[in-house]
Amino acid sequence: MINTPSFKGIHLFDRLCWAKERLEPVQSDFRVIYEDDVDECAKILVPDPNFCAAYLQGGILPPVEVYWALADDEAKPDFKRHTRGYLLHETQPIEAGTMEDCIEYLIMKDLPRHIWQTWDTGNKPKMVICRKEQLPQTREWRNAWRISDELNLAA
Amino acid sequence: MAGKIIADQIEHSTAGSLDTSYVVNGSSKAWANIDGTGTIALRDSLNISSLVDDGTGAYDTHFSNSFSNIIYCALGCAKEASTGSRTSDVDRVFHPARLPFTTSACAWLAQRYDGIDADVDEAYPLLFGDLA
Repeated sequence: MINTPSFKGIHLFDRLCWAKERLEPVQSDFRVIYEDDVDECAKILVPDPNFCAAYLQGGILPPVEVYWALADDEAKPDFKRHTRGYLLHETQPIEAGTMEDCIEYLIMKDLPRHIWQTWDTGNKPKMVICRKEQLPQTREWRNAWRISDELNLAA
Repeated sequence: MAGKIIADQIEHSTAGSLDTSYVVNGSSKAWANIDGTGTIALRDSLNISSLVDDGTGAYDTHFSNSFSNIIYCALGCAKEASTGSRTSDVDRVFHPARLPFTTSACAWLAQRYDGIDADVDEAYPLLFGDLA
Protein backbone atom coordinates (compact mmCIF):
# COMPACT_ATOMS: atom_id res chain seq x y z
CA MET A 1 0.00 0.00 0.00
CA ILE A 2 1.47 3.33 -1.07
CA ASN A 3 0.65 6.29 1.13
CA THR A 4 -0.21 9.53 -0.63
CA PRO A 5 1.86 12.48 0.60
CA SER A 6 0.11 15.64 1.70
CA PHE A 7 -0.43 17.22 -1.71
CA LYS A 8 -2.44 20.34 -0.87
CA GLY A 9 -0.61 23.26 -2.48
CA ILE A 10 1.43 21.01 -4.81
CA HIS A 11 0.83 21.62 -8.52
CA LEU A 12 -1.70 19.11 -9.85
CA PHE A 13 0.60 18.16 -12.75
CA ASP A 14 3.32 17.21 -10.25
CA ARG A 15 0.82 15.06 -8.39
CA LEU A 16 -0.22 13.34 -11.62
CA CYS A 17 3.44 12.62 -12.40
CA TRP A 18 3.88 11.23 -8.87
CA ALA A 19 0.86 8.97 -9.39
CA LYS A 20 1.99 7.80 -12.82
CA GLU A 21 5.39 6.80 -11.46
CA ARG A 22 4.06 4.86 -8.50
CA LEU A 23 0.53 3.60 -9.13
CA GLU A 24 -0.49 0.68 -11.30
CA PRO A 25 -2.95 1.88 -14.00
CA VAL A 26 -6.50 0.60 -13.53
CA GLN A 27 -8.54 -0.21 -16.63
CA SER A 28 -12.20 0.35 -15.90
CA ASP A 29 -14.84 -1.93 -17.39
CA PHE A 30 -17.34 0.91 -17.25
CA ARG A 31 -18.26 3.09 -20.21
CA VAL A 32 -20.59 6.09 -20.29
CA ILE A 33 -22.72 6.44 -23.41
CA TYR A 34 -24.41 9.76 -24.04
CA GLU A 35 -26.21 11.62 -26.77
CA ASP A 36 -25.32 15.26 -27.12
CA ASP A 37 -27.15 16.05 -30.34
CA VAL A 38 -30.12 14.36 -32.02
CA ASP A 39 -28.32 14.52 -35.36
CA GLU A 40 -25.16 12.83 -34.10
CA CYS A 41 -24.36 9.28 -33.05
CA ALA A 42 -23.97 8.27 -29.42
CA LYS A 43 -20.66 9.19 -27.79
CA ILE A 44 -18.79 6.91 -25.43
CA LEU A 45 -16.62 8.08 -22.55
CA VAL A 46 -13.65 5.84 -21.77
CA PRO A 47 -12.02 6.41 -18.34
CA ASP A 48 -8.26 6.87 -18.38
CA PRO A 49 -6.43 4.11 -16.46
CA ASN A 50 -3.94 6.49 -14.80
CA PHE A 51 -6.74 8.83 -13.78
CA CYS A 52 -8.71 5.91 -12.31
CA ALA A 53 -5.63 4.83 -10.34
CA ALA A 54 -5.21 8.35 -8.96
CA TYR A 55 -8.87 8.51 -8.01
CA LEU A 56 -8.82 5.13 -6.25
CA GLN A 57 -5.62 6.12 -4.40
CA GLY A 58 -7.12 9.35 -3.04
CA GLY A 59 -5.42 12.58 -1.99
CA ILE A 60 -4.37 13.51 -5.54
CA LEU A 61 -7.28 14.97 -7.52
CA PRO A 62 -9.16 18.17 -6.72
CA PRO A 63 -12.92 18.24 -6.06
CA VAL A 64 -14.91 18.25 -9.30
CA GLU A 65 -16.34 21.65 -8.39
CA VAL A 66 -12.91 23.13 -9.18
CA TYR A 67 -13.30 22.08 -12.81
CA TRP A 68 -16.76 23.65 -12.91
CA ALA A 69 -15.32 26.93 -11.63
CA LEU A 70 -12.68 26.92 -14.38
CA ALA A 71 -15.30 26.01 -17.00
CA ASP A 72 -17.44 28.93 -15.83
CA ASP A 73 -14.45 31.26 -16.20
CA GLU A 74 -13.75 29.95 -19.70
CA ALA A 75 -17.37 30.44 -20.75
CA LYS A 76 -17.13 34.19 -20.17
CA PRO A 77 -16.88 36.14 -23.45
CA ASP A 78 -13.75 38.02 -22.39
CA PHE A 79 -11.86 34.86 -21.37
CA LYS A 80 -8.19 34.95 -22.35
CA ARG A 81 -6.47 32.68 -19.84
CA HIS A 82 -7.21 31.06 -16.51
CA THR A 83 -6.52 33.29 -13.53
CA ARG A 84 -7.86 30.81 -10.97
CA GLY A 85 -5.69 27.83 -11.90
CA TYR A 86 -4.55 27.83 -8.28
CA LEU A 87 -7.88 26.18 -7.45
CA LEU A 88 -6.55 22.97 -9.03
CA HIS A 89 -3.46 23.01 -6.85
CA GLU A 90 -4.52 24.60 -3.58
CA THR A 91 -7.95 23.08 -2.97
CA GLN A 92 -7.89 20.14 -0.55
CA PRO A 93 -7.65 16.96 -2.69
CA ILE A 94 -10.50 14.46 -2.50
CA GLU A 95 -10.26 11.23 -0.53
CA ALA A 96 -10.09 7.77 -2.10
CA GLY A 97 -13.29 6.47 -3.65
CA THR A 98 -14.61 3.44 -5.51
CA MET A 99 -14.58 2.91 -9.27
CA GLU A 100 -18.29 3.79 -9.27
CA ASP A 101 -17.45 7.10 -7.56
CA CYS A 102 -14.72 7.66 -10.14
CA ILE A 103 -17.17 7.21 -13.03
CA GLU A 104 -19.57 9.64 -11.37
CA TYR A 105 -16.73 12.15 -11.00
CA LEU A 106 -15.74 11.76 -14.67
CA ILE A 107 -19.35 12.22 -15.78
CA MET A 108 -19.53 15.50 -13.90
CA LYS A 109 -16.07 16.56 -15.07
CA ASP A 110 -15.97 15.58 -18.74
CA LEU A 111 -19.57 15.36 -19.98
CA PRO A 112 -21.52 18.49 -20.89
CA ARG A 113 -23.48 19.61 -17.86
CA HIS A 114 -26.81 19.61 -19.67
CA ILE A 115 -26.37 15.87 -20.29
CA TRP A 116 -25.86 14.68 -16.73
CA GLN A 117 -28.15 17.26 -15.16
CA THR A 118 -31.10 16.21 -17.33
CA TRP A 119 -30.13 12.69 -18.35
CA ASP A 120 -33.51 11.17 -17.48
CA THR A 121 -35.82 13.85 -18.84
CA GLY A 122 -37.35 13.67 -22.30
CA ASN A 123 -38.50 10.69 -24.31
CA LYS A 124 -35.51 8.51 -23.54
CA PRO A 125 -32.36 8.69 -21.41
CA LYS A 126 -29.55 10.86 -22.74
CA MET A 127 -26.91 8.97 -20.80
CA VAL A 128 -26.31 5.33 -19.85
CA ILE A 129 -23.53 3.69 -17.84
CA CYS A 130 -22.71 0.20 -18.98
CA ARG A 131 -19.88 -2.34 -19.03
CA LYS A 132 -17.74 -2.44 -22.13
CA GLU A 133 -18.89 -6.02 -22.82
CA GLN A 134 -22.37 -4.62 -23.38
CA LEU A 135 -21.19 -2.47 -26.29
CA PRO A 136 -20.85 -3.75 -29.85
CA GLN A 137 -17.49 -5.48 -30.04
CA THR A 138 -16.71 -4.23 -33.53
CA ARG A 139 -17.00 -0.67 -34.82
CA GLU A 140 -19.21 -1.56 -37.77
CA TRP A 141 -21.75 1.22 -38.51
CA ARG A 142 -20.26 3.25 -35.64
CA ASN A 143 -21.82 6.49 -36.85
CA ALA A 144 -25.28 4.92 -36.52
CA TRP A 145 -24.99 3.89 -32.89
CA ARG A 146 -27.75 5.30 -30.67
CA ILE A 147 -29.07 4.70 -27.17
CA SER A 148 -31.95 2.31 -27.58
CA ASP A 149 -35.47 3.76 -27.41
CA GLU A 150 -36.56 0.57 -25.62
CA LEU A 151 -34.10 0.98 -22.75
CA ASN A 152 -35.78 0.03 -19.47
CA LEU A 153 -34.69 2.60 -16.89
CA ALA A 154 -36.06 0.51 -14.05
CA ALA A 155 -33.79 -2.43 -14.90
CA MET B 1 7.51 17.03 -2.43
CA ALA B 2 10.51 14.85 -1.52
CA GLY B 3 13.44 15.01 -3.93
CA LYS B 4 12.51 18.40 -5.39
CA ILE B 5 15.32 20.44 -6.95
CA ILE B 6 14.68 24.10 -7.63
CA ALA B 7 17.02 25.50 -10.26
CA ASP B 8 16.84 28.10 -12.99
CA GLN B 9 19.74 26.69 -14.95
CA ILE B 10 21.56 23.41 -15.54
CA GLU B 11 25.14 23.26 -16.82
CA HIS B 12 27.01 20.50 -18.64
CA SER B 13 30.75 20.16 -18.01
CA THR B 14 31.61 20.89 -21.65
CA ALA B 15 28.45 21.47 -23.67
CA GLY B 16 27.29 24.70 -22.00
CA SER B 17 24.25 25.59 -19.92
CA LEU B 18 20.52 25.61 -20.35
CA ASP B 19 17.73 27.45 -18.55
CA THR B 20 15.38 24.96 -16.89
CA SER B 21 12.51 26.98 -18.37
CA TYR B 22 13.43 25.34 -21.70
CA VAL B 23 12.87 21.93 -20.12
CA VAL B 24 9.62 22.93 -18.44
CA ASN B 25 8.17 24.81 -21.40
CA GLY B 26 9.41 22.33 -23.98
CA SER B 27 8.07 19.18 -22.38
CA SER B 28 4.81 17.58 -23.44
CA LYS B 29 2.05 18.38 -20.94
CA ALA B 30 -0.34 15.66 -22.12
CA TRP B 31 -0.16 12.59 -24.32
CA ALA B 32 -1.97 9.33 -24.91
CA ASN B 33 -1.60 6.00 -26.63
CA ILE B 34 -5.08 5.13 -27.91
CA ASP B 35 -6.22 1.64 -28.86
CA GLY B 36 -8.84 2.48 -31.49
CA THR B 37 -10.03 -1.06 -32.13
CA GLY B 38 -13.20 -2.68 -30.77
CA THR B 39 -14.38 -0.97 -27.59
CA ILE B 40 -11.63 1.64 -27.73
CA ALA B 41 -9.29 2.12 -24.77
CA LEU B 42 -6.29 4.06 -23.53
CA ARG B 43 -3.11 2.00 -23.26
CA ASP B 44 -1.18 4.71 -21.42
CA SER B 45 -1.24 8.47 -21.02
CA LEU B 46 -0.16 11.51 -19.10
CA ASN B 47 -2.55 14.18 -17.81
CA ILE B 48 -5.60 12.61 -19.46
CA SER B 49 -8.82 12.01 -17.51
CA SER B 50 -10.88 10.39 -20.23
CA LEU B 51 -11.17 9.68 -23.91
CA VAL B 52 -14.47 10.15 -25.72
CA ASP B 53 -15.30 8.07 -28.78
CA ASP B 54 -17.33 10.51 -30.90
CA GLY B 55 -17.87 8.22 -33.88
CA THR B 56 -15.83 6.86 -36.74
CA GLY B 57 -12.33 8.30 -36.47
CA ALA B 58 -13.47 11.01 -34.03
CA TYR B 59 -12.15 11.32 -30.48
CA ASP B 60 -11.88 13.85 -27.64
CA THR B 61 -9.12 13.87 -25.04
CA HIS B 62 -9.99 15.47 -21.70
CA PHE B 63 -7.22 16.79 -19.48
CA SER B 64 -6.77 16.29 -15.74
CA ASN B 65 -4.79 19.54 -15.43
CA SER B 66 -6.30 22.08 -17.81
CA PHE B 67 -4.17 24.27 -20.01
CA SER B 68 -4.00 27.90 -18.98
CA ASN B 69 -5.40 29.12 -22.31
CA ILE B 70 -6.49 27.74 -25.67
CA ILE B 71 -3.24 28.71 -27.39
CA TYR B 72 -1.53 25.36 -27.06
CA CYS B 73 0.00 23.00 -29.56
CA ALA B 74 -1.72 19.73 -30.46
CA LEU B 75 0.06 17.16 -32.60
CA GLY B 76 -1.09 13.70 -33.58
CA CYS B 77 -0.07 10.66 -35.52
CA ALA B 78 -1.47 7.18 -36.02
CA LYS B 79 -0.54 3.76 -37.20
CA GLU B 80 -2.26 0.61 -38.24
CA ALA B 81 -1.72 -2.63 -36.36
CA SER B 82 1.84 -3.91 -36.58
CA THR B 83 2.23 -6.48 -39.35
CA GLY B 84 5.99 -6.84 -39.40
CA SER B 85 6.14 -4.96 -42.68
CA ARG B 86 7.06 -1.32 -43.26
CA THR B 87 4.67 -1.00 -46.16
CA SER B 88 0.94 -0.44 -45.88
CA ASP B 89 -1.77 0.98 -48.08
CA VAL B 90 -4.20 1.73 -45.28
CA ASP B 91 -2.23 4.12 -43.05
CA ARG B 92 -4.12 6.97 -41.44
CA VAL B 93 -3.57 10.59 -40.54
CA PHE B 94 -4.61 11.73 -37.08
CA HIS B 95 -4.89 15.43 -36.32
CA PRO B 96 -6.86 18.00 -34.27
CA ALA B 97 -10.43 18.30 -35.54
CA ARG B 98 -11.81 21.55 -36.92
CA LEU B 99 -13.41 22.42 -33.59
CA PRO B 100 -12.28 25.14 -31.18
CA PHE B 101 -9.77 24.05 -28.55
CA THR B 102 -10.87 24.38 -24.95
CA THR B 103 -8.50 24.46 -22.00
CA SER B 104 -9.93 21.18 -20.74
CA ALA B 105 -10.32 19.10 -23.91
CA CYS B 106 -9.18 18.71 -27.49
CA ALA B 107 -11.09 17.06 -30.35
CA TRP B 108 -9.30 14.82 -32.86
CA LEU B 109 -10.04 13.25 -36.20
CA ALA B 110 -8.49 10.26 -37.96
CA GLN B 111 -8.75 9.96 -41.72
CA ARG B 112 -7.48 7.86 -44.56
CA TYR B 113 -5.13 9.64 -46.91
CA ASP B 114 -8.04 10.12 -49.34
CA GLY B 115 -9.81 12.27 -46.72
CA ILE B 116 -12.44 9.77 -45.56
CA ASP B 117 -12.95 9.62 -41.77
CA ALA B 118 -11.72 6.25 -40.56
CA ASP B 119 -10.96 4.46 -37.32
CA VAL B 120 -7.35 3.86 -36.39
CA ASP B 121 -5.73 0.89 -34.71
CA GLU B 122 -3.44 3.17 -32.71
CA ALA B 123 -3.43 6.96 -32.28
CA TYR B 124 -1.02 9.21 -30.43
CA PRO B 125 -2.18 12.71 -29.44
CA LEU B 126 0.61 14.89 -28.04
CA LEU B 127 0.12 18.34 -26.48
CA PHE B 128 2.44 21.18 -25.53
CA GLY B 129 1.59 24.45 -23.82
CA ASP B 130 1.19 26.24 -20.51
CA LEU B 131 -0.82 24.57 -17.78
CA ALA B 132 -3.34 26.33 -15.56
